[in-house]
Amino acid sequence: MSECQHQWEMTNIQFGFVVFEKCFHCNELRTYFSVEDNPILGDKYREGDHFWSRAENAQSFRFDLKCTRCNHVEKFDDLMGLLHCTGCLPDCEVETLRKKYEAQKTWILVAFGFLPEAKTEPIPPHKLDMLTDYFNQRRDTSRSMIKIVSFNLIEDLSLCKGDFIHDVGMLSLEPPPGRKPLF
Amino acid sequence: MTTQDLITKIGLKPLSKFEHRDVEGVFVSDMLSDVMAGAKSGNLWLTIQTHKSIVPAANLVDVSAVIITSGKEVPQDTVDLASKYNIAILSSDLATFELVGKLYGLGLGAK
Ligand SMILES: [Zn+2]
Ligand SMILES: [Zn+2]
Repeated sequence: MSECQHQWEMTNIQFGFVVFEKCFHCNELRTYFSVEDNPILGDKYREGDHFWSRAENAQSFRFDLKCTRCNHVEKFDDLMGLLHCTGCLPDCEVETLRKKYEAQKTWILVAFGFLPEAKTEPIPPHKLDMLTDYFNQRRDTSRSMIKIVSFNLIEDLSLCKGDFIHDVGMLSLEPPPGRKPLF
Repeated sequence: MTTQDLITKIGLKPLSKFEHRDVEGVFVSDMLSDVMAGAKSGNLWLTIQTHKSIVPAANLVDVSAVIITSGKEVPQDTVDLASKYNIAILSSDLATFELVGKLYGLGLGAK
């Protein structure tokens, strides 16, 4: 194990889209990162026994973390995104943790891997700790802290109403009414 | 400069409940990914995005305040969530470009 007290920064930042697809045959959900800029919502196609339909297309990004002290690079291409827990399921372990940590001014975010792979191969805890360290290194921790936990703690994914920190619907964003042109 | 100074000097309207804090630098973006990748602790974040997700994004990167420009109306659930997390949501009738000019004039651009 490294002795370095890692000081993280983002590297290899790549902007793109997280595509959410649902099979209307078996209800399986799958997600992937794409740099393609215009996937069509509602687009349906068959793949083996699955009939995939594009349910959501969110502008997002991916990145790796690099230590500025020892140059170690940790890849985070398995991170789909961070979800803000809305406390929707009272018995959910995330909700229990959220209450406990919020009392200590520590805000919980839930890290998602890509589905369905992440259900059997979740993002390992040491990487979630790195993410936690990274975001805390970026902030004034005397005011509050961040704690990243795994989505595997969510009681029932299909019932979770958490909010992804993704740009959903950005492609149809209309300028506010009455806004003057800049120049 | 603090969030309190800015409210007085530029006439920003506070929408959420929050504790005032020091402001360092300005970050302008309407994309959450951009903010998560690039905003720094203490930055003012200028945007026309008003949906609820701006709150966890602002919280994650520890911006000092989110300023909604162009007088865009902010939904109540966004304001309530911001109050819960002690995130300053300020509103300005100025377009982003004009507001940036004023902030620059106050010395927030010089580092
Ligand atoms: Zn290191
Ligand atoms: Zn299927």
